[in-house]
Amino acid sequence: MQIGKISLHTTNTSKTNNNCSPEKKLASNPFGVSFKGNVIQADVFEGTKKAGIGKSISEKSKLFASAVVSGINNFNEAFKSRMNSVVSFGKKITTNVFDTIEKFGNTEITFDMTGIKNKLFPNRQYSVKNLASKDVSELKTLWQDLAGIQAA
Amino acid sequence: MDNNQKIKNIIQALGEHKDSQAAIDLLTELGTNSPDDEIREITAQTLIKKNTHESLRVVLISKGKGINDLSARVAMASINELLSLKDKTEAIKILDDTIKMHSEEEVRNTARSVRALMTFSS
Repeated sequence: MQIGKISLHTTNTSKTNNNCSPEKKLASNPFGVSFKGNVIQADVFEGTKKAGIGKSISEKSKLFASAVVSGINNFNEAFKSRMNSVVSFGKKITTNVFDTIEKFGNTEITFDMTGIKNKLFPNRQYSVKNLASKDVSELKTLWQDLAGIQAA
Repeated sequence: MDNNQKIKNIIQALGEHKDSQAAIDLLTELGTNSPDDEIREITAQTLIKKNTHESLRVVLISKGKGINDLSARVAMASINELLSLKDKTEAIKILDDTIKMHSEEEVRNTARSVRALMTFSS
């Protein structure tokens, strides 16, 4: 497309050469490039220049876009790998939680409240009020244990 | 709380126990025969506080127990407890019987002394 445009411009300039002086032509073409004896008009360069700028911009933007795309791809890959690890961790946690819940569901939990109370308040077990509520035979066993007396 | 304090609490609990006879039997069996003077002292005091015929007999007529204990501390604590009783009727009756009928002279003499103290204190 670009070459076609240039050739079209050159054709047009050959026609305009008849109306314009060579100095004027050269002034608009500082490099003085001629094509088959005709000085190439500035608009050719302008067109080329314009096309070149556009091309470089498009190339740059393509490069930038490709860089961005590759960057995005890299980011996506990194993100995906991180997400995968996060998801696998989440799945592991969920599995563990479900396993634990299942274990709890299958476990019979009993609380020995008297034992817990005795451990939390060891002196309360030997309070006079608590002892008075116990059977005498139980008190005898306790006394023998405390005194280190062998039961008869 | 050490073991001695726990035993003291058990003795105190037996003094308040609703099964009085079983409590007296246990106090007589373990408390009055304890090698620890303090435990014997508290046991004697608890038995006297109960102020029943069975409990008073243990500390008044048994040789080596209560007022007849070899430890002066235990014997004096028992006498003090007897003197502080509001109703001394049962104690005096047992002491009178002991003075008259007990086979051991030592026990009779101790009973006579305590009887005299109780007469003066009342």
